[in-house]
Amino acid sequence: MEILRDYGLIFIPFALSILYVIEPLFMSKLANSYESEDQKSLKRKKIMLYRQIKELEMEYDIGNINNKDFTKMRIELKKEVSAIIAQLKSK
Amino acid sequence: MKNKKFTLLIIGVVAVTGFWISWVSYNPSDEKAMATFVSVNELMNNNINKRIKLGGLVKDGSIVISETNQLECNFILKEGSSELYVKYGRTRPDLFKDGAEVIVAGQYNNGVFYADELQTKCASRYEGDLRNESSYNLTEVQQ
Amino acid sequence: MTPVAGGVALSLAFGFGLLTVFTLLIYTKNQDQRLFLVGQRLALGVSFFIFLATFILSYQLIISNFDVDYVARYTSIETPFIYKISALWAGQSGSLLFWLFILSIFSTITILQNQYKHHELMPWVIISLTVTQIFFLILTNYVTNPFKPTEADFIVANGNGLNPLLQNITMAIHPPTLYLGYVGFSVPFAFAFSALVNRDTSPLWIQSIRRWTLVAWLFLSMGIILGGWWAYQELGWGGYWAWDPVENASFMPWLTATAFLHSIIIQEKKDMLRLWNMVLIILTFTLCIFGTFLTRSGVMSSVHSFTESSLGPIFLSFVFFIMIASFGLMYSRLDDLKSPKKIESFTSRESGFLFNNMIFVVLCFAVLWGTLFPVISEAIRGTKITVGAPFFNQINTPIGLILLGLTGIGPLLAWRRTGSKNLIRKFTLPIIIFFISIVSFLLIGYKGYVVISFSLCVFVTTAIISEFYLGIRVRKNKFKESLHSALINMISKNRSRYGGYIVHLGIVFMFVGFTGHAFDREKEFSLQVGQVEHLAGYEFELVNLSESERPNHYAWISKLRVTDHQGQFVTNLYPEKRVYFHNNPDINRRQPHSELDIYSELNKDIYSIFSSIDNQKQIAFLKIMINPLVRWVWIGGYILVFGTLIALWPRKEE
Repeated sequence: MEILRDYGLIFIPFALSILYVIEPLFMSKLANSYESEDQKSLKRKKIMLYRQIKELEMEYDIGNINNKDFTKMRIELKKEVSAIIAQLKSK
Repeated sequence: MKNKKFTLLIIGVVAVTGFWISWVSYNPSDEKAMATFVSVNELMNNNINKRIKLGGLVKDGSIVISETNQLECNFILKEGSSELYVKYGRTRPDLFKDGAEVIVAGQYNNGVFYADELQTKCASRYEGDLRNESSYNLTEVQQ
Repeated sequence: MTPVAGGVALSLAFGFGLLTVFTLLIYTKNQDQRLFLVGQRLALGVSFFIFLATFILSYQLIISNFDVDYVARYTSIETPFIYKISALWAGQSGSLLFWLFILSIFSTITILQNQYKHHELMPWVIISLTVTQIFFLILTNYVTNPFKPTEADFIVANGNGLNPLLQNITMAIHPPTLYLGYVGFSVPFAFAFSALVNRDTSPLWIQSIRRWTLVAWLFLSMGIILGGWWAYQELGWGGYWAWDPVENASFMPWLTATAFLHSIIIQEKKDMLRLWNMVLIILTFTLCIFGTFLTRSGVMSSVHSFTESSLGPIFLSFVFFIMIASFGLMYSRLDDLKSPKKIESFTSRESGFLFNNMIFVVLCFAVLWGTLFPVISEAIRGTKITVGAPFFNQINTPIGLILLGLTGIGPLLAWRRTGSKNLIRKFTLPIIIFFISIVSFLLIGYKGYVVISFSLCVFVTTAIISEFYLGIRVRKNKFKESLHSALINMISKNRSRYGGYIVHLGIVFMFVGFTGHAFDREKEFSLQVGQVEHLAGYEFELVNLSESERPNHYAWISKLRVTDHQGQFVTNLYPEKRVYFHNNPDINRRQPHSELDIYSELNKDIYSIFSSIDNQKQIAFLKIMINPLVRWVWIGGYILVFGTLIALWPRKEE
């Protein structure tokens, strides 16, 4: 009885977790879910770049970046954004 | 700006702080900054005038608290078979009692160790052996 | 839910852990998505069984099952409920299980959060986290098992009970907070490690770990501050920081983590310092493990340490394993870690960050040096030398002040290069105010570091305020906003930046508090009822002595009436002398404890300790301390937490 009580209780979660773990092995080969993930990470990248542009503008307004650098960096960031938007549209 | 200058700068910062750390290690400004840890035997055999630290157990029943001033006390510190007479005149830690493991810092003079610091190590009570308390009155503590 | 089940759960977690690593390693070779799913689920299983084991141990503690050695050692029947739970992290094996518990929470969150993100990185992230789990599982399974049955040739009717020092609310939450910090850094480390394996240098993963790092950093900071607060309230030596090895162990990863938080900003914005950031996060994680080792191994004599144990060598091997694996991997990836851009000017924001990083690391090294000095000197010279707080104070004060200065200078510098016109525009006001404050503090009669520290505090505050002012002015002109909405919008659109400045302000407050330490006064004396004693212009009168029996202790209470030099009443203080387990027939089992009483004002604390009592003569032996400005440290702590929360607050995806 003692043993049953000690091990029985732990056996149930053990059996359940084993089932949960091996379940994927019975699926047919999974398609690579990359595409949707790619979309998402592109979108996140876009948001990040927009934020960076805004921060850059703020820094410029406060006077933490000189005019020449500001224009150059802004153009660079905008180029990156448009590249990403183009990628997103093409899909 | 060349990268070389930055490398030089980094080396400079590291050198200055390295020098500073080793300088303080050799010339600490406060005598309490560093203390040599010795055993009771070493203390008895060599004449040490510096401020030192010792560790040991408080001999059972050796704690005597002054009648006139409860802050002052003396006790015997045991380390193995060696014993040392210690005087201490400041606030004692709560865990200081017979058998407690203590570390004292201070100076030795003519058979008496004048401690200005007394630390107790973790109470054996909480890491020690389990108690046989079949005689222990449980209802008493539960109320 | 028996203890045996707990032991089995731990073994199962260990087995699942090995399987996780194995499966994911195969997946990285054959790229079968099913295996990845299996690996993820196995990793969740590891955490699940650790949760189960933790709940079983908590349950045993609550029902006071003294057949479990751990329960018998750290609780007793009369231990209050909440401390029965906190006993989970009071002892060695329990606290290791608790470490695992927190790591499992973080690991589960990381896995669930990134199910559809960072597909390339996740396998190695999970492997790194699981390997850490496996290490702690080895400890809890084979070295110090929390479910070990009680070995005694008698029936254990009652346990040993929890140390009264730990029966304190702060002490109940300090270790978990600190652990959340320590353990939190395993996630950024896992990402960094995985990025190294995958040769991924994109800023995307840096974005995701920045938040994690900030969360871990917040917990670590709070844990450290709470520890100081607890020491100040409970230990009765009148201070909050003793440079004890275990305190240092939590401070060192904090220093490298703070450096890391600053330098990843540069990697995010400028793609510089890739290699340096790797070094910092590896160091931080290693120091966290090392810190746990120092706390739990008893190698260093310290108020925190447990009695000596066999954990030392195993922990050290793990620390070396992490360092060799990560630095080795880093070495093989040196080409990827070369940053395409270089710092161009001394007077640039970038170089400010670089300086700040160097000083943080140097400070960390100084602390490490002092902590290990006894061990080093014993190995080299054969004499054991102990290092005290004055040593650390002497070394670290100037380094800390340089850091404080940089806190003010850094934000004023422009990216890439600050033109001389800009330099003058930004620095004129703070520097003028800095010199004015030096002169005024000297005139008041302050000397040395005190003058420098206070003046730097003024300087940094001026710099922070002027940054806020500039930002607000820009918004007001550009968007025609009112002062109020300009402030709000400015902060909410640039959270990490202005949150960071607020944290800086918190640090300034703390430095003011640290500097107050220079003016500490203390006195030990005895008083009969009705007698008075003087200290620092205050008069202390012992009004009466009383006694009281309470549920788990007996207390003698002294009432002290405090008046200032004009005879004005300030406060009554009630320090207590307590005896815990006072009903225990064995006198040696009784536990005396001095409960302090502290009167706190913005400019000083009056700290009183009732050290002993002469019952016959009605004499109380007391220790009084006047600790100026201590409160500023705690206020600084609140500001720091507030600033970090602002930086952390999630933004809507616009």
